[in-house]
Amino acid sequence: MKLFKTCPILIFIAAIAIALSVTSYALEDTVYSDYTYDYQPDKAPHFIMVLKGLTDGVYPWSQVSALDDMGVLADGSGDTGAEADLGEDTANDSDNSETVEKVIAGENETLTRVSGVEEPADSISGNSVSGNSISGNSISGNDAEEVYEYTPVDEDYFCDALFIGDSRTVGLSEYCAPLDERATFYAKVSLTIYGAMDKPFVKTDAGEISVAKALEKKQFGKIYIMLGLNEMGTGTIETFTEEYANVIERIRELQPDAMIFIQGIMHVTEKKSKQDKYFNNKNINERNEALSQLADNKTIFYMDMNEAVDDENGNLLSELSFDDIHLKASSYERWYEFLLNHGIVKE
Amino acid sequence: MINFSDLTFIFRFLPVFIIFFYLTPAKFRNLTLLLGSLMFYAVGDLKMFPVLLGAIIVNFLFARALHRGGSKVLLGFAIALDALMLVEFKLLGQFVDNSLLPVGVSFFTFKMISFQADNYRGKIKDEPGFVDVAAYFCMFPQIVSGPIMRFEDYLKNPFLEASVISRQPADADEDSSKTESDSGDVIDLDKEYDSAPEKKSHFENLLMYLEKIEDGLRFFILGLGMKVLLADHLAMLWKDIGTIGYESISTPLAWLGAVTYSLELYMDFWGYSLMAAGVGIMLGFPFIVNFDQPYSSRNVSEFYRRWHASLGSWFKDYIYIPMGGSRKGEARTVFNLLVVWLITGFWHGVTLNFILWGMLIFVIIVCERFVVSKLTGFLEAVIGRINVLVLIPLTWVVFAISDNVMLADYFKRLFPFFGEGIAVNQGDFMKNVQIYGIILAAGLLLLIPGLYSYFEKHRKHPVFTVLLLALFWACVYSLSNAAGNPFMYFKF
Repeated sequence: MKLFKTCPILIFIAAIAIALSVTSYALEDTVYSDYTYDYQPDKAPHFIMVLKGLTDGVYPWSQVSALDDMGVLADGSGDTGAEADLGEDTANDSDNSETVEKVIAGENETLTRVSGVEEPADSISGNSVSGNSISGNSISGNDAEEVYEYTPVDEDYFCDALFIGDSRTVGLSEYCAPLDERATFYAKVSLTIYGAMDKPFVKTDAGEISVAKALEKKQFGKIYIMLGLNEMGTGTIETFTEEYANVIERIRELQPDAMIFIQGIMHVTEKKSKQDKYFNNKNINERNEALSQLADNKTIFYMDMNEAVDDENGNLLSELSFDDIHLKASSYERWYEFLLNHGIVKE
Repeated sequence: MINFSDLTFIFRFLPVFIIFFYLTPAKFRNLTLLLGSLMFYAVGDLKMFPVLLGAIIVNFLFARALHRGGSKVLLGFAIALDALMLVEFKLLGQFVDNSLLPVGVSFFTFKMISFQADNYRGKIKDEPGFVDVAAYFCMFPQIVSGPIMRFEDYLKNPFLEASVISRQPADADEDSSKTESDSGDVIDLDKEYDSAPEKKSHFENLLMYLEKIEDGLRFFILGLGMKVLLADHLAMLWKDIGTIGYESISTPLAWLGAVTYSLELYMDFWGYSLMAAGVGIMLGFPFIVNFDQPYSSRNVSEFYRRWHASLGSWFKDYIYIPMGGSRKGEARTVFNLLVVWLITGFWHGVTLNFILWGMLIFVIIVCERFVVSKLTGFLEAVIGRINVLVLIPLTWVVFAISDNVMLADYFKRLFPFFGEGIAVNQGDFMKNVQIYGIILAAGLLLLIPGLYSYFEKHRKHPVFTVLLLALFWACVYSLSNAAGNPFMYFKF
């Protein structure tokens, strides 16, 4: 008792730390199995898994089966935990993943068909982005009657446009007044392709709703997407592209008449690219290459704005960025100019 | 691990070290402290570890030759060698490769210089042994960022039996007791344990150690909270402002940025100092006051007696006063101040903005001393407060931005008389207030001097016990989510 009176804080800290460690070790193969991959024993105590779980809504008493499904759906994305309603509808979850697979399979067929058609024609550059030489911006559909070229457009072209994206798109809305006045932005800091459709962040009079809900309510003529930077450290090119294809498919269903523009992920500066094992331009180019394959050049187009902001080595110009990742406020003008020069006008 | 706000330090190094420290017989605890500190340093900066070792040995050898007097030339040589080492590594770190700047070099060199001077002046009565000197130079609670403790305070630890020939802490001579009250940078938190600890029973000893550990923990947790929950988040806002680009921020945001950076620096360094002091207390050292409510100061001179006080008193005792201080006429005083602030600027960094920062402080202090002090009481008080609350944050902006063009851009937005910014979004101020309002408010609240002194006085109250416990786990929770997760602080 005297001991407890002398050092209550110390005793409580020790007791809680022990309790957390016991929980963490006992459940590391079940509840916390998803966290063991990232865990580096030399960097932090074992029990951080329990605390990380807490953030994602994973508790020691959470059901394991639900978690496994989550792992399948989105490989290690930080957002998934918060979205998944754990322990409630396991059955629904597996239904969903089936649908996802079907959708992806369907998408693959389309893609094979498209590329099959395109192969003979060498002039087609719409879907190939190779390394740093960007060739994705002149698109010509192969069918004789539908040839789309990127053409300059005026500012009002964006009156029926929607932009979906992460912090970079948020920056575009905040620091490009002529675009912000005309277009709609569903953008949020740290948004990923995994959360793009179902995360409720679109502000309406009736509170915040998901992009999917918002797209049911209003039709757009053009939908621009730039996502993918936050996902660089998670999953593989394949899982990322699959999810991207899935999102495009869902948008296509909700917005049958809209042109969808996949924007390649903007590069980072040379400094960042050199020293970061995830956020480097080699990885970005690989993912962009994969994204460009999702375009069909009829209603889904790929564009790469990096040509407007890159240096001669294919890195983001260092003077355009303070943190090596985002454009400075004064540099968004270049992105906007690029968009103005890359409109698709259908007769 | 070299960071106090690191889970490995909190849950591994610190507890293991403290257990070893108290298991060691008092006679050998200095050795435990030395070995533990060397290990701590080697893990943090193995490449520059030999530099630290070399500096320790060289300084010890000089100290032996210079104990209580000796050749003044030799003393000058020893100090010049230390100063040269510091300058050389600062230049190497800035212009060649950042990794060539040994961790904590600014702090352990200053400790070495102060030790040489104190040793020479006879402030250290008994010739200290190698282990004590080495442990004092590199003790892990202070090696990374101070506080710059004096050797006499090292000797005050009742749990260490310093390996001197004979220690007489009871009749400290006039000199040392005078400087002690002079600098006022040490608080005796508990006087009850001044008597020799070894005479008590084992259980009583254990309780005594635990009480020290507990008390140190209280300060550690408070500091951890300031660092992890406030400073690290304020740093995100400061970075966000940079991301926008200084030429494109609105004037209100520019001022918010000045407040943000000032608060970040304060919370970061005050928090660190509390953590360092807390760890010190856990090991039996006296509490070294490094920050004493600087923003409640009446003028800038006072501000810098309360801000990073262990550095300020170092400059006073080892540069300003040896040069004559303010006793040799006005012109000499101004010159001495100029030297002190030039060196202070350079000590913080080699780039031009640090020199500019030091010069600004110099100009403000000289103005206060020779102009403002001649005004009427009321006007003097008002101008003094404005200097502390408005000019000081502006000097921090100079301190923060090392690129001259960017610095100019920032000031053009602070004072928008030179034209509009580029692509300014006037909504940026409200947006960031909405995101960071709570953190900013918490930081500003801590500027109220009464709050901390209330904590200090009542820190053993059960309510504070519960609050500190909650604060600790809130910090650990925040750190856990950041651990191994590059996305915590870098969400795009």
